[in-house]
Amino acid sequence: MRYRGVPQQILPIVLIFAVIIAVFVTGRILFVPESFGELGHYRARSIDENAAHDISYAGYQVCYDCHDDVADEKAQSNHRSLSCEVCHGPAADHAEAPDEVLPEIPRSRDFCTLCHGYNAARPTGFPQIIPDQHNPGKPCLRCHEPHTPEPPHTPEKCSACHREIANVKAVSHHASLECTRCHEVPPEHLSAPRSARPKKPSTREFCGECHARGADSPREIPRIDLAEHGQRYMCWECHYPHSPEAGK
Amino acid sequence: MFISLLQILTSELPKITGYIYPNEYELHWSIMIVVYPYLTGLVAGAFILASLERVFNVKVLQPVYRLSLLSALAFLLIAPLPLVLHLGHPERALEMFLTPHTKSAMAMFGFVYAWYLLAVLLLEIWFDYRKDIVTWSREKTGPLKYFYTALTLGATDLSEKALAFDDKIGRTITIIGIPSAFLLHGYVGFIFGSVKANPWWSSVLMPIVFLFSAIVSGIALMLLVYMVTTMFRWKAMNMLCLNKLGEFLFYAMLVDFSLELLDFTQRLYESEESIAILSQMITNRLFVSLIISQILLGTLVPMTAIAMARFGKLPNELRRMLYFISALLVQVGIFSTRWNVVIGGQLFSKSLRGLTVYKMQLFGLEGLFMTIALLVLPLIILYVLTRLFPPWDPNEKRRPTAPPAS
Repeated sequence: MRYRGVPQQILPIVLIFAVIIAVFVTGRILFVPESFGELGHYRARSIDENAAHDISYAGYQVCYDCHDDVADEKAQSNHRSLSCEVCHGPAADHAEAPDEVLPEIPRSRDFCTLCHGYNAARPTGFPQIIPDQHNPGKPCLRCHEPHTPEPPHTPEKCSACHREIANVKAVSHHASLECTRCHEVPPEHLSAPRSARPKKPSTREFCGECHARGADSPREIPRIDLAEHGQRYMCWECHYPHSPEAGK
Repeated sequence: MFISLLQILTSELPKITGYIYPNEYELHWSIMIVVYPYLTGLVAGAFILASLERVFNVKVLQPVYRLSLLSALAFLLIAPLPLVLHLGHPERALEMFLTPHTKSAMAMFGFVYAWYLLAVLLLEIWFDYRKDIVTWSREKTGPLKYFYTALTLGATDLSEKALAFDDKIGRTITIIGIPSAFLLHGYVGFIFGSVKANPWWSSVLMPIVFLFSAIVSGIALMLLVYMVTTMFRWKAMNMLCLNKLGEFLFYAMLVDFSLELLDFTQRLYESEESIAILSQMITNRLFVSLIISQILLGTLVPMTAIAMARFGKLPNELRRMLYFISALLVQVGIFSTRWNVVIGGQLFSKSLRGLTVYKMQLFGLEGLFMTIALLVLPLIILYVLTRLFPPWDPNEKRRPTAPPAS
């Protein structure tokens, strides 16, 4: 049975697909919001709705209006790039009703170690401690004032800031060397670490003081012929000085 | 609240190895996203198997042809459910049709899915079953009669010419269906493969690897479904068909495994900066699911067993057992593959310096029980479909009730 040469079974299929397409087109007309696509693949008016949400964070300028003394103090310290609400939590409610809602004051050691606990991935020079070794049990706030968190006294060891390097070096062949054997450290580095940086060795001959053939150093230290070995490459292009592997 | 949040963080942080970014602590793509490619893979695989019979005239696969189509349909109907469960807001699901976003591969899935379901699978099944549907609409009584009559869509013509047309158009749809099935599952791989920032996913081989693993899982599924349904219907298994299925499964696994090895070797040889953390992930977090479950139990053991069953001189009983165990192991292996891709891709930090952990929920919308439900649901649908549209050959032999006397 055919309808004008078209097989019978084609007609209902065509009809069903026509209905699906009609539903799709009608759905688009009825349900796509008016402002959809004006600014991108979204409903433009949703911006107004989102803008109408309650604000949780007050922003540091608002904190400054009342707590300018603390803010000025902080602005000179190593915590200058942290906003107040990073530690004290969202404070818009506090700004609205200063006496009724008080912001959080984190006092536990766990809080400070979120940033200052030892983690190999933190940038070198970032002050890190191992909580179990660094005055265990004592609250950080006892010695460190968070708004001016400079250490109460100058760190005695390089590892206070360069923990990652110190840890690597401690298990390397260079474990017994003091940092100052290779690095010349200006005294100002201790108070202004970024503006007065320690010097690094810059010549092959420096490493040669211990490792060159004929150098005046203990016999068990590996030796190379400075003229032949590695040719024009600097030693540290192949050997990491904080964990130098002995070549075979 | 702020302090309690910090307390949670300090107790959870030790589970992490090395350094990860804050937003990497919680895995965003849960086991639902593992189930989704697993299900679509089964659909694509089952359909491609059906096309072998229809387009490439592998007549020996006749017993599983219709069963494959019904299985593909049963699994396809459930395939979007994990996505809906993961995203929530099912009322928004249809918005991807209303406001098509042509630049988003994920948003275009709706159209790929609709095309595959409506224009390929349902049409093919309808044309294939039309003769039977018309016959049933005449023979059955009660509500079933109305059901089948409605399904005829008014096309009750059973003349030779009409049936020849059904056959011709069915074949055409299958031919269109093969690239569509490739699209359906290749596209899932495409989505993972095109995440540039993720070195575990970003690979042009991803769609191809996904596709072949889909074929593997589909053939293994049909092997299982065919064996179980034949067993419960007390019919004799068609060993020719089983052997052919085993053979195709073996070849598909061979290609799939070679492709994955190629991908892996290339990564190792390229040795990009991510290789250190990926190696650490493979040997630590993914050791059981990748080395043991995917490669050993899911690939090498079943490949050996199938090769023995197909090409060795073994009694049929043992062959069937080997096929069955292998197909089960392959399912475990392919599920592990999906797991390793989806979960593995989120276990390492984009800083390439740390690993996180995935803790699956038991209850809840994205938990273990929901996963089990999602995997069982297609089988229930398949059972209903086989009751409504029996795919069995009426001339099938009965299984001998007693073992032959020795």
